[in-house]
Amino acid sequence: MNELLPISPINASVLIALLPFLAFLIQAVLGKTQTSGNISLVAIILSTTLSLFWVFPAVWNHDQQTLKLVWFVIGEYDLNVGVLLNNLTVLMQLIVCIIALPVHIYSKAYMKADPGLHRYWMFLSLFCFAMLSLTISINLFQSYIFWELVGFASYLLIGYWFTKDSAVQANKKAFLVNRIGDIGFLIGIALIYSHVGTLDLTMLFGPSGVFNPSSLEHGQSLVIDTDASWRTWAGICFFLGAMAKSAQFPLHIWLPDAMEGPTSVSSLIHAATMVAAGVFLLCTIFPLFNATVLLLIAIIGTLTAISGAIFALGQQDIKKILAFSTISQLGFMMVGVGIGAWDSAMFHLGTHAFFKCLLFLCAGAVIHEMAHLKKHRNLEFDPQNLRNMGGLRKYMPKTFLCMSIASLALAGFPLTAGYLSKDSIVVGAFEWGAYHGGWHMIIPITLIIVSILTAFYIGRLIWKAFFGNFRFADLLNTDHTMREAPVLMLAPMIFLALCCFAPAFSLQPLDYHASWLMQGLHVQTAYPAIPSAHLYIPVILSIGAIVSWFIGWKWYTQREYPFSTGNKLVQLANNQFYLNEFNEVIFVNSIKRLSGFLYFVDRKVVDGLTYLFTNLIQSIARAVNWLDKNVIDGLVNMVANSTYYLGHLVRHVQNGQLQGYLGFALTVLILGFLYLIIK
Amino acid sequence: MGLLSILIFLPLIALALILALPNTAKSSYKYIALGFTVLQLGIALYIYQNFQGAQAGVNILSDFQFLEQASWIRLDLGAIGKLEIDYLIGLDGISLPLIVLSALVMLMGVGASWNIDKSPKGYFALLMLLNTAVMGIFCALDFFLFYVFYEVMLFPLYFLIGIWGGVRREYAAIKFFLYTLLGSVFMLLVIVGLYFSVTNPETGAHTFNMLHMMNPSNYVDGSFFSFIANYHEVLGIPARLIGFIILFFAFAIKVPIVPLHTWLPDAHVEAPTPVSIILAGILLKIGGYGIIRVCYSIFPDMAALTNWWLALIGIISILYGALNALAQKDLKRMIAYSSVSHMGFVLLGIASLTAEGISGAMFQMISHGFLSAALFFLVGVIYDRVHDRYIYNFRGLAGIMPKYTACVAIVFFASLGLPGFSAFIGEAFVIIGTFNAQSMTTGIPRWMAIAGSAGIFLSAAYFLWTLQRMFFGQTRLQGGTAWASALTDLNRRELLILVPTISLALILGIVPSLVFGKLNASILKLIDIINPYI
Repeated sequence: MNELLPISPINASVLIALLPFLAFLIQAVLGKTQTSGNISLVAIILSTTLSLFWVFPAVWNHDQQTLKLVWFVIGEYDLNVGVLLNNLTVLMQLIVCIIALPVHIYSKAYMKADPGLHRYWMFLSLFCFAMLSLTISINLFQSYIFWELVGFASYLLIGYWFTKDSAVQANKKAFLVNRIGDIGFLIGIALIYSHVGTLDLTMLFGPSGVFNPSSLEHGQSLVIDTDASWRTWAGICFFLGAMAKSAQFPLHIWLPDAMEGPTSVSSLIHAATMVAAGVFLLCTIFPLFNATVLLLIAIIGTLTAISGAIFALGQQDIKKILAFSTISQLGFMMVGVGIGAWDSAMFHLGTHAFFKCLLFLCAGAVIHEMAHLKKHRNLEFDPQNLRNMGGLRKYMPKTFLCMSIASLALAGFPLTAGYLSKDSIVVGAFEWGAYHGGWHMIIPITLIIVSILTAFYIGRLIWKAFFGNFRFADLLNTDHTMREAPVLMLAPMIFLALCCFAPAFSLQPLDYHASWLMQGLHVQTAYPAIPSAHLYIPVILSIGAIVSWFIGWKWYTQREYPFSTGNKLVQLANNQFYLNEFNEVIFVNSIKRLSGFLYFVDRKVVDGLTYLFTNLIQSIARAVNWLDKNVIDGLVNMVANSTYYLGHLVRHVQNGQLQGYLGFALTVLILGFLYLIIK
Repeated sequence: MGLLSILIFLPLIALALILALPNTAKSSYKYIALGFTVLQLGIALYIYQNFQGAQAGVNILSDFQFLEQASWIRLDLGAIGKLEIDYLIGLDGISLPLIVLSALVMLMGVGASWNIDKSPKGYFALLMLLNTAVMGIFCALDFFLFYVFYEVMLFPLYFLIGIWGGVRREYAAIKFFLYTLLGSVFMLLVIVGLYFSVTNPETGAHTFNMLHMMNPSNYVDGSFFSFIANYHEVLGIPARLIGFIILFFAFAIKVPIVPLHTWLPDAHVEAPTPVSIILAGILLKIGGYGIIRVCYSIFPDMAALTNWWLALIGIISILYGALNALAQKDLKRMIAYSSVSHMGFVLLGIASLTAEGISGAMFQMISHGFLSAALFFLVGVIYDRVHDRYIYNFRGLAGIMPKYTACVAIVFFASLGLPGFSAFIGEAFVIIGTFNAQSMTTGIPRWMAIAGSAGIFLSAAYFLWTLQRMFFGQTRLQGGTAWASALTDLNRRELLILVPTISLALILGIVPSLVFGKLNASILKLIDIINPYI
């Protein structure tokens, strides 16, 4: 290959990320004149080809390759950006490419004739750029940038139909919940920067990184104490970031609402790739975590897995079921990280990407036909509601087949890829629980229960949508009937369905250790393997799945449903234990009230002080004015007035009459004489 | 006459031209103003290009670039000594970015003034006077000269708000004027105090030279503000602390900090769009610049002593401003409060006393300079069209004004700190720097950084909420069809102003070294000055 492509894997990986960006720019410039999506499609085809045939083979199971460039200098610190290629990053980049490509093809048919299509392709390419760049970032700050950018692209795509109120509410919620996580991420970065002085992933977590316990052998002198409290905090901060992005309980609330976006978007971003970025991040920085944080991750993961599965049981909306299923599966991956087997987490991330993407694409095909029927017949019903479906396998057999394969993979049925990856986590958790003993066993036991619940809820979806009778069957006629999806949609689905089988990941379809992915990422765990667990746990899971499907079949197709429609528990699960309402009342409303109150304070108290000051000055001015008028000017006036009065008194003397003057003169004369006599 | 003098006094030529031309040529005023501001921007860019980033400046006169020194006022005062006031201007890494920013925002302001038809002669003349004043403030290195420019700036602003403003313009203008004057009058006292405490080592006379004031050895022993062994106290508070607080108070009004911010929403809401742009884009930065250039450089000992309180004020401004913005129903008022919140980051970063924090604060000032200018310009767009900016009177604007909505969305996201745009770099490094302060033992606890980052979350909340309420959903306007036809999309002139601004935010977000390259040496020097006192 070296002769064929004279570019290094590093440059090729940069190119993989930049091609979609180029497509984004071209699409942005062309605007409405270009709606075919061919530019984005070509970009992703090239990226996928490069990734699959050049970068991945060149790096997988070889030494890591890095590229570092100084981005800018702040103070005395050089901030580097660059590319880090190792098994983990090239794998993630490949997964993103290989999922994005079918989704692009599928979108061409699925989104056809939508009025804002140019925006769709633009945003989709932007997302691919951000996501593909995130995977190969070498610096935590750089990761943070692309981390936020994927969130931004997701915001744009959830709100793609911006005239729909629920869609814009949903994208706001998604962005804000993710912001909480971003703040965690940022503080984590600040903690590491302040204690270690670098944000370079290789210097932090690489073979000779300061967080790597084995780095002493590599001549690294500074190794961070595992029990340092700041390290625990940093771990928790990064985990908070991952919790928001990977929809972990209780920050998962944005993901079900995000289903307001187009289904193709849900499949790519909100099922297969972006939401898995949190898990990917935790795998990248895994050496940072100490036992406390890992335990926390495992517990939150378990909580998410079980709550997601319970919520999925109560949903009627086909996309919502899949969304909660995603949340639940992300919980599994988190447990994988929490028990230290992050290779299992990445394995599950990989297999999950395929089957969950496929599930969404199949759901999209069904919704597409339902919406078509609704429009054609001028009916009023929710095209995503399971209650309006039923018996669809007769009309859409290929879609049914694809969805069944994906469902088997999700349920972890033998011979599927899901079987391998789910087993790796559940068995690993069991070994971990047995090693630590005591209440730690709750986690593997919960995971086993969740696995069976998973089989049940996905079975329920299949039974309700594809079996039984179609509700609108009598409306269908030769003129308009429910049809199979067009080939542009079917082809990607079939491709993904093939990837759902075990051989895509392992030629030995029953042992996950034999998978090329697990061998490439191999992590040495502290706890010993329990060979017998590899036998009986898969057996329990498979039998549990079959039993649950039988029950589901009884309930949903044989009409032996045991619960009344208004059953409290079902309602509770449907409403996610009223978590959204709780948040609305406790957080949203209190912040709104606080802001209203502060504005009141601002007007009345803070600005009030200004007024008070003004009034005070004015009052003083009035007082001084009064003083001036009445006292100071009063004195002046008094002098003037008394002078005037005196003058007024003597004025009478000057009256112009001769006898008066003579009389006055005589009086003065007499007074003079009198004075002389008395003297 | 040096390049800086030309930069400062160029608008005065425009002013003379505008005043000389008769009213019949009134349509030419805006072209004159535009021509001169374009020229000014050209000079500013030339200066930027030729500025050597390695020279630190701050307290070493010879390190300043484009330096001009001339004796201005010399007066023999007999027993008191000789009065020595210099015309001393120069640039270092701290003032250079602000000069370029000012030239740019001024140009935006002129562009936004295109449709002013109420006595354009006076309007453009005052605008040019304001231009000279702000350029002078950022260049002046003599405290007396600085004060002159500082006061000159107030005068045109008062009339610009008071005559060309909205309904309550007189109220807003006088509030703004008195608030700022209150600060600057006290500042004058400190200036005089410093004058009598500092002597020029060369001539032995008292001096207003700021750089002499930064050197502890220039202080007269036993003088009021003397550096070492100062026993002066006022009401039990050391004299230097008093001086620092008064100067900080003067600049803090400009920033503005909570609780001295209430002039800002009123002034912004009443001011015409171009004045809002200049107010938010340049004048608030004078506050931050003054704190760095005057408070921190002349009183480094007090800077180290008080930084905990300054950071606390920063935090309060961030959170209080953001929560208030969340409560607003008037778009312009919301943006005014968001300015309070974003300028809080500047104060927090400066108070952190770390290289990352202060650089982040400077970057945030630059970034906020044109982002807030763009925000006010965008508000002006709909206000021009329908004379309303009440958030709930608009809905689904995206349907009828797609280009406008795209611009608003980009500027909103840039302001809330989306990576790729400049505000992100500023805020992220303020937070990282503040966080680092504990390791550098500058006395800022980490919870302050965390509280500051809560402001980043809140800014996303109010911007996105506004976006959702005004721009998305089904189109529904208070003014019905009349509004729908009045609300045309952005025209060529508006795009011509917005696109470069947005591009600049993007360029600075991607290539922050454009600023940091010129800034780093000066910031490190500043930290060196303060460090001995920590």
